[in-house]
Amino acid sequence: MLLAAGVAGLGVYGIWFSATLPSRLPSLVDWQAAAALVARDAAVGDVVALAPPWAERAREFFPERLPLHPDVPLPVLAFPSYRDEELLGVRRVWLVSLPQAPGYSARVAQDLASRSSAVDGPQQLGALQVTRYDLRAPTTPLYYFPDHLPSAVALRGEDLCESDARGGLRCAGAPPVRVSREVREVDFLPRTCVVASPGGDPSHPLTIEFPDVPMGRALRGHIAAAGDAGQGTGSPVRMSVRVDGEDLGEVDEPAGHTGWHPFAFDTTRFAGRSLPVSLRLSFARPAREPTCLAAATLP
Amino acid sequence: MKIHAIRARLAALLPRSPNRRIAAAWSVGVFLVAAATAPAVGISRDESVYVEAAEGYARFWSQAVRSPGQVLPLADRYYAANHEHPGFAKGVYAITHALLASGLGVTSHLQGFRFGAFLFAALLAGVLSLWGSALAGHWGGGLAPAFFFLVPAHFYHSHPAVLDLPETALWLATAYAYWRSIGGGGDQPRSGRWAVAAGLLFGATVATKHNGWFLLPLLFGCWFLSALPALLREGPRALAARFPLAFLSMAIFGPMVFLATWPWLWAHPLSRFRDYLAFHLHHENYAWMYFGSLLREPPFPVSYPFLVTVLTVPAGLLAAMCGGLLQSVARIVRALRGAIEDVSLPTEVLLSANSLFPLSLIAWPTVPHFGGTKHWMAAMPFLALLGARAVVITGRTLLPRRPVVVTGALAALALAPAAWQVIHVHPFGTAAWNELAGGAAGAASMGMQRQFWGDNMGRVLAALNEHAAPNARVWFQEATWLAVKEYQRDGRLRRDLVWATGPEDAEISVWHYHQEFRDKEFRTWTEFRSARPVAGVYLDEVPLIQVYARAGAWR
Repeated sequence: MLLAAGVAGLGVYGIWFSATLPSRLPSLVDWQAAAALVARDAAVGDVVALAPPWAERAREFFPERLPLHPDVPLPVLAFPSYRDEELLGVRRVWLVSLPQAPGYSARVAQDLASRSSAVDGPQQLGALQVTRYDLRAPTTPLYYFPDHLPSAVALRGEDLCESDARGGLRCAGAPPVRVSREVREVDFLPRTCVVASPGGDPSHPLTIEFPDVPMGRALRGHIAAAGDAGQGTGSPVRMSVRVDGEDLGEVDEPAGHTGWHPFAFDTTRFAGRSLPVSLRLSFARPAREPTCLAAATLP
Repeated sequence: MKIHAIRARLAALLPRSPNRRIAAAWSVGVFLVAAATAPAVGISRDESVYVEAAEGYARFWSQAVRSPGQVLPLADRYYAANHEHPGFAKGVYAITHALLASGLGVTSHLQGFRFGAFLFAALLAGVLSLWGSALAGHWGGGLAPAFFFLVPAHFYHSHPAVLDLPETALWLATAYAYWRSIGGGGDQPRSGRWAVAAGLLFGATVATKHNGWFLLPLLFGCWFLSALPALLREGPRALAARFPLAFLSMAIFGPMVFLATWPWLWAHPLSRFRDYLAFHLHHENYAWMYFGSLLREPPFPVSYPFLVTVLTVPAGLLAAMCGGLLQSVARIVRALRGAIEDVSLPTEVLLSANSLFPLSLIAWPTVPHFGGTKHWMAAMPFLALLGARAVVITGRTLLPRRPVVVTGALAALALAPAAWQVIHVHPFGTAAWNELAGGAAGAASMGMQRQFWGDNMGRVLAALNEHAAPNARVWFQEATWLAVKEYQRDGRLRRDLVWATGPEDAEISVWHYHQEFRDKEFRTWTEFRSARPVAGVYLDEVPLIQVYARAGAWR
């Protein structure tokens, strides 16, 4: 009797699941409508967020840049949580969610709501919902270091690195070291950062100098081993930060310490001036994973 | 008149026994459905290696017949390919390809290899039906193959020319032959012919994949446990009288078939067999997603094969299988207590142990955990048998006068959603999750492995052919170079498209979603200066493949 009840009950549930699944998921038209809505109303400082984060089909439909401002990107974010995300430069988040999809969780919406001063929506577009969150305290950086790599100078030991054809810096030696602005994986998530491969000679630290950095009250950022997350075979890294030749502090990133690790320095004494900032990376040993470094000066 | 004569001839070919007719119908049906639905299934990493190896093995046999004196050097030359797995199943693929594709030219190259796989699927269906009939009558024979093949992952495995379904089929066939050799659990005379068949089939099993070696000790354990009451009652002499001839046959024919079908061993049998064992004893661990964690190194969670089974077998079938297993274990307990007379202890022990052992083997924390359900697929035909029998018994119990009503209704409720899932998921069998998981979408939310080994590539070939710029360099990522070569040889992929080794030297990137390789996708974004795919393959909105292109490379 128990077996009959189990088979019958789960069989009926299986039929219901398969029968209702298509209506719980968005159609092409739903995606196109959501993309058109956001493309029409998005402004500078907007991003798109996805819930659940696996719904990355959205990338096919949403424009990468604002239609009215083709030089302004419209990033599509697919993070599992936004509670601790810095969201630098972001003023508004367009949450595109699939609330009826199996496994959907309201966590992303709750995270965004907790950081917002106003919420517009949700607007139902078929099986999609689009909700706009206006962040209560958007953080607009004065200077985002990865975006200014082309104007930076890099030295390996005392040797000057040269610009390469792909927009990075190549430092001679065995093996050569490359410094570039890339999107890399840290804990399975994409991070835009300055990527520096460790190279083979720990006695020759890598120094990246950024000229004329507008300073504010803080210099904040993250450091991590990029790619192949979880392997933990990298090298310990020490980053020394200098502003206008003055030591600001150091950050130690131990080997095998996976994750996107924050650091912050008080720069109040430099605020209001544009000064050279150097980031010096010392590697204890050669390693496979490059270091991914993102930093910004904040007002 | 003519039609009448043909019909009469065909009728003469059919088996006389209704059970055998049902089994034959299942075999033919599975073979035809697999053949018809195979072209949609892409080439997985392992299949690309096996078919390449099989083609070399065919060359070996054709040259060895002409130059018998050169057999050993020829074996070293042609069997070096994929020498970590023995030669039987790949040898079958070599024969069907040589006959159908190279010889008669009636199939594509890939389909030629895969005909061997369809044969193994047909064998599995036929044996399941025969055994199901023996256990639970016509309904058992009709339901048992359906309970197996309407699991989406199993349906998927009936297509590719790989080793897991052949191994499952041969494992089942060996167990069936052994069971027949001991008198079908006691109600029939012992059979020497079935004992010989068990030995030969066991040889084919170990000559297909290494997990076959566990079968002999497992069967021995089953027999010993079944004979325990007699041993306690009558002493050691009782064991000697009941000792199955099949074990002797398996011990003799097993190694013979293994050696005969694997010429790689011929020149240095002991050292190469040692190397073969060492390879599998120290197999590398591939990264695998499980509830949001990336499993890389042991100890792996013991729950893995059990929970993955619970989340991939359609729920109605799962309920029947679990119920059938519990029913069998209960029968064993009652039989050991002497509570019921009409229970065959050898049969129940054999079915239960074979249902649990392959799962338990993979559950061992140091055994590599990857490849989804296929590594314990040998358990599933036995669970299908127990599930089918349980449904039949339930019908007889609940409505003794008209058991067909209950059995038919339960079978329909179990099989209808399963069939729906098979149709819905095909050809993405490695991405299949059941309704308890919430399908592909629910599994993605739970952080489970989304797919594996590049077989979903088949679904982007048309888009690549249509949109890729002439002579574009394509990074195929999880699809191997051998797979790409095979697609191009069969005319399924444009030949002007060039193999690229990574996003850096590619104009088009075919990104197969793997959590552990996401850095490769993000490197593609960097290289192509775009995170916007130009095409994609999705199952229930969950990305399986996303195609990226540099400006101008996608038209």
